[in-house]
Amino acid sequence: MSLSTAAYDIALSLPAGVTGLAPANDNPVADFSDTPWWVALIKAVGVFVYLLLSTLLVIWFERRVIGRMQQRPGPNRNGPFGLLQTLADGMKSMLKEDITPANADRIVYTTAPLIAATMAFVSFAIIPLGGTVSIFGHETPLQITDVPVAVLLVLAVASVGVYGIVLAGWSSGSTYPLLGGLRSTAQVISYEIAMGLSLVAIFLYSGSMSTSQIVAAQSSLWYILPAFFSFAVYVITMVGETNRLPFDLAEGEGELTGGFHTEYSAMRFAMFYLGEYVNMFTVSALATTMFLGGWQAPPFIAAIGDGALNGGWWGLLWFTIKLWMFMFFFVWLRGSLPRVRYDQFMRFGWRFLIPITLAWVVAVAFIRGAQLGFLGQGTFTIGGRELSVATVVIVSIVAVIALAAAWIWDDKRAEREAAAEFNPPEEIDPFEGGFPVPPLPGQRLREPSGLAVGSGAASREPVTSSVTSTLTSSPVKEETHG
Amino acid sequence: MTAVAPAAFQQSNVDYVAILPMLIVASAALVGVLVEAFAPRRRRHVIQVSLAVVGLLAAFAAVVWVAVDPNKVGHKGLTMGFTDGTTNHSVFALAIDGPALFMQGSIVLMGVLGILTMAERFGGVGPDAFTPSGASTPGSASESAAARAGALTSEVFPLTMFAIFGMMIFPTTNDLIGMFVALEVLSLPLYILSGLARRRRLLSQEASLKYFLLGAFSSAFFLFGTALLYGYAGSVYFGDLSKAVATGPLAMNGLLLPGAFLVFVGLLFKVGAVPFHAWTPDVYQGAPTPVTGFMAACTKAAAFGAILRLAYVGLDTARWEWTNAVVIVAILTMVVGSVLSVTQTDMKRLLAYSSIAHAGFILVGVLAFDRKGVGAVLFYLVAYGFSTIAAFGIVSLVRQNGGEATHLSQWAGLGKRYPLTAGAFAFLMLAFAGIPLTSGFVSKFGVFSAAIGTGGATGTTLAVIGVVCSAITVFVYARVIVLMFFSDAPDDAVEVVTPSMATTFSIAIGTLITLALGVLPSSLLDLADRASQFVR
Amino acid sequence: MSEPYVPILFMLGLGFAFAALSVFTSLVVGPKRYNRAKLEAYECGIQPSPQAAGGGRIPIKYYLTAMLFIVFDIESVFLYPFAVAFNKLGLFALVEMVLFILTVFVAYAYVWRRGGLDWD
Repeated sequence: MSLSTAAYDIALSLPAGVTGLAPANDNPVADFSDTPWWVALIKAVGVFVYLLLSTLLVIWFERRVIGRMQQRPGPNRNGPFGLLQTLADGMKSMLKEDITPANADRIVYTTAPLIAATMAFVSFAIIPLGGTVSIFGHETPLQITDVPVAVLLVLAVASVGVYGIVLAGWSSGSTYPLLGGLRSTAQVISYEIAMGLSLVAIFLYSGSMSTSQIVAAQSSLWYILPAFFSFAVYVITMVGETNRLPFDLAEGEGELTGGFHTEYSAMRFAMFYLGEYVNMFTVSALATTMFLGGWQAPPFIAAIGDGALNGGWWGLLWFTIKLWMFMFFFVWLRGSLPRVRYDQFMRFGWRFLIPITLAWVVAVAFIRGAQLGFLGQGTFTIGGRELSVATVVIVSIVAVIALAAAWIWDDKRAEREAAAEFNPPEEIDPFEGGFPVPPLPGQRLREPSGLAVGSGAASREPVTSSVTSTLTSSPVKEETHG
Repeated sequence: MTAVAPAAFQQSNVDYVAILPMLIVASAALVGVLVEAFAPRRRRHVIQVSLAVVGLLAAFAAVVWVAVDPNKVGHKGLTMGFTDGTTNHSVFALAIDGPALFMQGSIVLMGVLGILTMAERFGGVGPDAFTPSGASTPGSASESAAARAGALTSEVFPLTMFAIFGMMIFPTTNDLIGMFVALEVLSLPLYILSGLARRRRLLSQEASLKYFLLGAFSSAFFLFGTALLYGYAGSVYFGDLSKAVATGPLAMNGLLLPGAFLVFVGLLFKVGAVPFHAWTPDVYQGAPTPVTGFMAACTKAAAFGAILRLAYVGLDTARWEWTNAVVIVAILTMVVGSVLSVTQTDMKRLLAYSSIAHAGFILVGVLAFDRKGVGAVLFYLVAYGFSTIAAFGIVSLVRQNGGEATHLSQWAGLGKRYPLTAGAFAFLMLAFAGIPLTSGFVSKFGVFSAAIGTGGATGTTLAVIGVVCSAITVFVYARVIVLMFFSDAPDDAVEVVTPSMATTFSIAIGTLITLALGVLPSSLLDLADRASQFVR
Repeated sequence: MSEPYVPILFMLGLGFAFAALSVFTSLVVGPKRYNRAKLEAYECGIQPSPQAAGGGRIPIKYYLTAMLFIVFDIESVFLYPFAVAFNKLGLFALVEMVLFILTVFVAYAYVWRRGGLDWD
């Protein structure tokens, strides 16, 4: 027997667990060899219709659920349960006048909504919706396509989608859209960093950027468990990415009217709307794929009948259920939380999410390195389970650092709160500053001493002099309060 | 399972000893950034200057340590790469050889002098040459508010350290990609530094923008050339490039000449060779004077180090393809630099054209294609660098109403009122002119004799043109000396401010080295000669 | 399918066709009633300013955000291949990557301390 055949035999006899630990390569596992171009096109049309129907449904769903949360029925007139409401709205916007403002840059103004809507659909091309099925006699995965850099493609397409927003804001030739577009762009790119970094942990575990490979690697354990922190960061950033409440600063009605789409009307406006909702589906689908095992059935269902319900068209069901859990979460957030302030939002992204996600990525890299034996091969046994020394050490170090950081942070916050606490004096002189000030709750008004005999004349002097007296007296006042 | 085995990952061998000088400079720069972030404002200046100087001196010590025993560096002086076990094909990113170490050492030392001149405060809070608030509009309220609040731009020191880091990689790198990275690392800080002058800020910002735009163009040229050469040789490593030319894949021959040409454009831009010199006078004039001195000395040294390596290691076998073009560039550079310096009325522009002319003289040495030529070029770069830092240091001291007086007419009669300063400047002028007993004479003699010795008819022609151009520049420098010593001072005479110890030291050292290399050049000549062997 | 990227173009084409068709239909079907006031910029009913804020120019603050974004995006660009090839690269790459992240953190600390991360 020659040497090469021996190596081949060894490779054949490798247990499956070994490859599960360290995927052999980063190429997609989905097999597209039996997929002619027309089947791919059929699948693309199918996914496209799936997305359009989901969008029609989710807008109705959102309005109904929000309605329930706000103790009102929500839309219930058009069709059964109001299901056709969105369709009616779409028809209506089709029949409205499409206005291009005089100041607008016409070409860019028209291109922007097209970019926003088109780019929203593209990412779905690499999302695996189910297992391998038979379409017109061809065995093909329920996924339009897969490439070795699939997740990168999603991020890239999302970045191109930002052009829709920034160009819409710029080309409207109006102040509110410009500011809204800028805000929105700053917001999306800021949160895109944390989002991209949170996914690094997944790549560390899966060893691949191909979505089908990532789903396959989760057959035994969904990544939401080992990468729980990434999941949390991803969920926060996906809300920021899609400009949804509580992060919908770009269209904060009180500040910017409609944000970047203030000037838009009719179908061009509807395209932004469509893009936003399809984007919600895209980020949710990515979350499902990356963290929740993609189209795979939940473990207890997967066990039924030796995986009979875990594959083929069944995958589409599980995938859709997981997807809609995220959609409900979006709606729930919108029903519960108020909008954050722009500076709070940006500070949270830049000063908290980015550094802590980076730290998390480093921690995961070390844990993964320990698992793969980069940091030593020693093992020990506790309770019948063999544990790697390096893994235990690294995990404990990470845990200790995390605890210490949380403790310090908590201390600091308590300190800040203590410092910020303001104890109002029990008694105030309402005319101390020269103009009347109402008392705070629990405060007693000082008797207007000598006002009657005329020594309080200062308060009745012309406004200019009382302003100067306010300025000069204010430092003293702060001292007595502080 | 018949999965295709992924290409084996082969780890780079890194000789940390060999790259220690660069690591020291880079870490000092990083620490400098942290100092900017965390140190209180009133201490920053002192911390930054001492950090930079200590870092550079430590780097110099490391250079010497590596240089005394070249065997410390494995793989015959190459590092940061690997040899493929099966094909025995080596790819190494850095070449720690004689010219590289010589350039690193001299850049670091000239960097020390540059830092010391930049650190001049004249009693203020921050470096005097730099604006307290670079981001504010010149003449705006926020600018004066920043000045009143005691703001200072001590970022210039980390920036300079990053630039020096890039300059150290530039002549060391053994492949085109590394060369590009080094080019950017050294250029980007310089673009910023040029725009930070405290006085005449609009001029400074204009200079910065011009430098940035033209620099971006030249970087693009360099990258295009890299792409073409990669297309030609299938590799960006100099060794592979040289081998590919020698074995000659004729099918791709159309890529070689444009590739080599574009890469040379990118490098010649950095040394300010004609016709890629357009930025030099404007930037030299607009940039803060200490930065100009630093740029003139160190950038030139680094860029010529890179040109030497490209010409002698990467494209040596393709010499016949590109030599003629570079010869023309050298002639143009010498002629344009020296002729146009005659008409200058601003001291900094005059020195800028002088530096262009010097770039031409150095190119003559490069074109000798001989170890002797390499040694002469190395010597020239050191000699010119120290002289020019001292010269710009003196320019920054001659002032009127608080600002620098750079117009030539303002220098009239300086020699009668400040004989020491004017004397030192006159001596440096003589060195630029190449008068015996100055370093300028020895270095010019070195490059011209190398050109005549091994350059053949072309070399002789170049040397003759070089001597004629030197004669032209003698006139320019002599005019400055005459102006300083033999004309009367105008009524609103300029003054020479008294600098701090650091600046005085820097100018004195620069002048003394100019003298020492003129009188006793043998030890450095010897060192340069021994360091003139490239590894490949 | 031999070329896995082509179906992505299908999706792109479908999305674009749908969007363009909708917008075009709306332009054809929708009414057109000229009114000068309707074509002016919307500013809640007050007399609109002749052009967008700052003449449509973008405040420098946003450029700073964009540059910071690029810095961290480049960091991600380096982290992705590192993460994908992690099990082949070994300890050396892990250490190098930690050093790289620390280096970026130096710049991050500088930007933070100098107020580059203040939005108000």
